[in-house]
Amino acid sequence: MVNIKELKASIGETQILKGLNLEIKPGEVHAIMGPNGSGKSTLASVLAGREDYDVTGGSVDFDSRDLLEMDATERARSGLFLAFQYPVEIPGVSNINFMRAAVNGKREHEGLDPIKGKDFLNLVKEKASLVELDGRLRNRSVNEGFSGGEKKRNEIFQMAMLEPRFAVLDETDSGLDIDALRIVANGVNAMRSPDRSFLVITHYQRLLDYIVPDFVHVLVDGKIVLSGDKDLALKLEEKGYDWIKEDVIA
Amino acid sequence: MTGTAEPIVMDLQRKPNIHPATQAKGEALIAALADLRTGTGLATEYLKELPVPHRRVERWKHTPVSGFWTTYEAPRVQTIQAAGCEACPVPGLHAYRIVFVNGMFDAEASDLPVHSGVRCEPVSMTASAPAEAGNLEKSDWFAALNQAHATEGMKLHVDKGVVLDRPLLVHHHTHGQKSANFLRHEIQVESNAQVQLIHWSTSNEEASGMVNIMMQMDVASGAIVALDKVQDEAGQVHHLAFEQINQAQASQVRVHTGTIQGKWVRNDLNFRLDGEGCDAVLNGFFLPKDSEFVDNHTTVDHCAAHCTSSEQYQGILYGSSSGVFNGKVFVRPHAQQTNAYQQNGNILVTDKATINAKPELEIYADDVKCSHGCTIGQFDEEALFYARSRGIGESEAKAMLVHAFIGDVLDGFAVQEVRMEVEHRLATKHGWDTWNDTLESA
Repeated sequence: MVNIKELKASIGETQILKGLNLEIKPGEVHAIMGPNGSGKSTLASVLAGREDYDVTGGSVDFDSRDLLEMDATERARSGLFLAFQYPVEIPGVSNINFMRAAVNGKREHEGLDPIKGKDFLNLVKEKASLVELDGRLRNRSVNEGFSGGEKKRNEIFQMAMLEPRFAVLDETDSGLDIDALRIVANGVNAMRSPDRSFLVITHYQRLLDYIVPDFVHVLVDGKIVLSGDKDLALKLEEKGYDWIKEDVIA
Repeated sequence: MTGTAEPIVMDLQRKPNIHPATQAKGEALIAALADLRTGTGLATEYLKELPVPHRRVERWKHTPVSGFWTTYEAPRVQTIQAAGCEACPVPGLHAYRIVFVNGMFDAEASDLPVHSGVRCEPVSMTASAPAEAGNLEKSDWFAALNQAHATEGMKLHVDKGVVLDRPLLVHHHTHGQKSANFLRHEIQVESNAQVQLIHWSTSNEEASGMVNIMMQMDVASGAIVALDKVQDEAGQVHHLAFEQINQAQASQVRVHTGTIQGKWVRNDLNFRLDGEGCDAVLNGFFLPKDSEFVDNHTTVDHCAAHCTSSEQYQGILYGSSSGVFNGKVFVRPHAQQTNAYQQNGNILVTDKATINAKPELEIYADDVKCSHGCTIGQFDEEALFYARSRGIGESEAKAMLVHAFIGDVLDGFAVQEVRMEVEHRLATKHGWDTWNDTLESA
């Protein structure tokens, strides 16, 4: 579904991704862990099409299409979703209108008519209940005045509304208390299916107790240096990253 | 603070700042106009003495007037039908229409008489003597020019306690080239009366010349007035609008000014709060593109205690357009317990667009609450990316942010049909999908 080959990206003069390889098959959940500054969020941004980054080499194949050729809007409409580490507040734009525009953008891409108002509101109700946001979205601007936990739940709500083929969760666990973490993880787990894949970026093993990954990768200095199963995350939690730098890279 | 201190700056008679070459251009304009129509003969003494605006006259510093120094011709078209326009510029609006074309009253297209308890007639048909020069005519050359040449306009008198059953739409349309159109509206709203006014200005694609509209409005105690002002003029028209609104005790006036389109627009909106307990609201938005120019000069003069004023102007400037915002708020020594709020936000979409913004507050009373804010910035790139990452197209995402930026002002239009038509016209001008947020209330 997603095949990343020798991906290199920089911001300004600084090279951040230095030849990253990763293949994600349908239905798989991959976790990426790594020390601060290793390039985790850069990977998420480059995949979503943030223009601040220059892709200087490599390729990303998404459902047999060249992902890097598409702009951010097109990537989203083609089924890619990024849950932001820091969801953006947009004062004056209501959650409801924002999501309706997003849903209709995708429908247009698929050759469908805009969704009917009533159907849309029913869909909102159904998906909001998934992350326990029922009744908390109406008459409020996008993320404005939301608590940290509400913002992250809103990301998962948006993901559920858009039903992506491939979702990247960028430190979705950061800033969450245990209850919110459980709600967010339940939302993600409810969406796991044989034809939907996830890339979960996190600092902490804790999230992976709830969202159990098929593979865990360690990103150090712009490259994946070690891959394993969920037990690798436990080992990282226990031993930190230094042993990798010493044993694996050296 | 003694409480007796007199304002120093606001009433100061400045030495006229005469620029001889500009003065000569102004005189040439007056001579050219004299050939076109009979002047009123009023305000001529002020015209001679006042400085013709140029860059060194403070209130005209960033407002280029060179477009006025041109030739003018008598208009050929005098009716809305001959101009080929829709009878009402706002679809579905049920209003009393008062229509002027090229500065002339179009009786055929107008709905007179209006309502019992309301005297509404064109100035040319009234017997009463024209009003004497007010502060604006005594201090501003273009305002004096209006009084010297405006032989037409609407004279409106709303009797005590009358609540007008539908909005009163004053539509001015400019058609053809090189026209010089002057209108002078005199409005009196008696105590406890209520009226909704709409001033709508349009012109055709080939139009050029000047439009100079003066409105004098006296609002008696307890009266409630809403004015929705929309400017949507195509072509090369230069539009000057002066409004002087005097409010008596416990009256409420709200003015919303939306500039959709206009090659050159200047709004000079002035409130004088003369009685205790008045409430004034003045909001506006402007979205010039290409080389359009929009200027909003406002003055709120708090002369009495316990009044509130609230002002919000939002501008989004595209292309190589330019804008001016100048917001004066005076709080005179006796105007204690004043609550005055002013906000001006500007977004420069390109690096060629410019805005000159200047809040000016002069406060001479010591027990007041006055706040103001002024911002100039760009579109929020992070918000744009967020929207795009959800599959929203770039132009739709921008339209969404625009809507958020001017939403409060749009929502403030008194007449719902006006608001909807304004949104529709903005969407057409900027190529957005028509925006509607009816779902929220569904």
